[in-house]
Amino acid sequence: MEHTYDVVIIGGGPGGYTAALYCARAGLDTVVLEKLSAGGQMALTMQIDNYPGFEEGVDGFTLAQKMQQQAERFGAKTELAEVIAVKLEGAIKEIETDSGMIKSRVVIISTGANPRKMGIEKEDVMVGRGVGYCAHCDGMMYRGKTVAVVGGGNTAAADAMLLSRICETVHLIHRRDTLRATKIYHEPLLETKNIVFHWNSKVVDLTDNGKVNGVVLENVKTGERETIPVEGVFVSIGRQPATELFKGQIELDEAGYIVADETTRTNIPGVFAVGDVRKKALRQVVTAVADGATASHYADEYLAERDK
Amino acid sequence: MAAKALTSKEFNQQILEEHRPAVVDFWAPWCTYCRRIEPAYEKIGSEYGDKLLIAKVNIDEEPELAERYQVEIIPTIMVFKNGEPAGQIVAPDSKAKIDSFIAEHLGE
Repeated sequence: MEHTYDVVIIGGGPGGYTAALYCARAGLDTVVLEKLSAGGQMALTMQIDNYPGFEEGVDGFTLAQKMQQQAERFGAKTELAEVIAVKLEGAIKEIETDSGMIKSRVVIISTGANPRKMGIEKEDVMVGRGVGYCAHCDGMMYRGKTVAVVGGGNTAAADAMLLSRICETVHLIHRRDTLRATKIYHEPLLETKNIVFHWNSKVVDLTDNGKVNGVVLENVKTGERETIPVEGVFVSIGRQPATELFKGQIELDEAGYIVADETTRTNIPGVFAVGDVRKKALRQVVTAVADGATASHYADEYLAERDK
Repeated sequence: MAAKALTSKEFNQQILEEHRPAVVDFWAPWCTYCRRIEPAYEKIGSEYGDKLLIAKVNIDEEPELAERYQVEIIPTIMVFKNGEPAGQIVAPDSKAKIDSFIAEHLGE
């Protein structure tokens, strides 16, 4: 007979694996579908200093592995599978993956968010050839070189600081005339000698010789253009939720996040949303894990109701 | 069988001389994205290990291999047929992408 899980969790980040931990401990037959490895965005963070209990900080990849092992200790399973399509209405939900169809009574969505793209023509073809979204990951490749950081928020500020220690010169490109980043970043950034600021500017094109060798900036006020020679462009302009799979089925907000309140319940019975993918005020590892625990509570309640 | 770490000597012997069909992950210990590939790549090692050589090369330890195949971005996963590179992908974001890449170049 075909297997039907109690709970399928889509995405193995901190929200997903905490939901898995709580569901497994509640005796629910639980599987996590992860397309690559545990952790999501957290796995690319070398040092997490705001997750309680680690006084020296903790490496995100290691924390993710621990969360996975902890959930698996109580019987949660992990399938390395990529979800292609979902059918969420009804008592039995159907999840189509690259390694076959999976059925479940409850679906917990923890697909997270991904870096937002600049939206210029050459961006996609230049990814990995000079365009990057993770200074912590690829920064070392640009040791001694000149790079650009695009954005003005906390991530852009942190990326610029990191790269200033590795690279010869860092051009910080921001479309406003002040940083959106938290105040604590402003002074160190302005005092760093090898960071050059380009205010009121946006990237409109890239120049290349097979690899990026320059960015074309346009001043948003004057329309004036200039080309700056750089070998790398780090894009830090925020994130977008990974909700493409759910469009037309689940209620999303205008930015694409899944609409669900603190109960994590979506507009579809038996479907829950946890972590960064949910519409919420603060997207952190601690708020994601809290969502995971909450979702398991309401999932359990939903299943008990249906079994009556 | 897990993915096999190759030195340049082993690489030359098994891939260039013996012409074993191979998949090679070029990585480095400091590369955070490389770590994300690892669990999926190890699984691939156990799934394909008897048909293909599933290998990895640490570019810090074997810089001449990275240079020879012009690996400038890691992780780069390259397939070798008859001792020649036959295709590559950079920083795949799912195990499914690595699977279909292997199937495309080395599938039966």
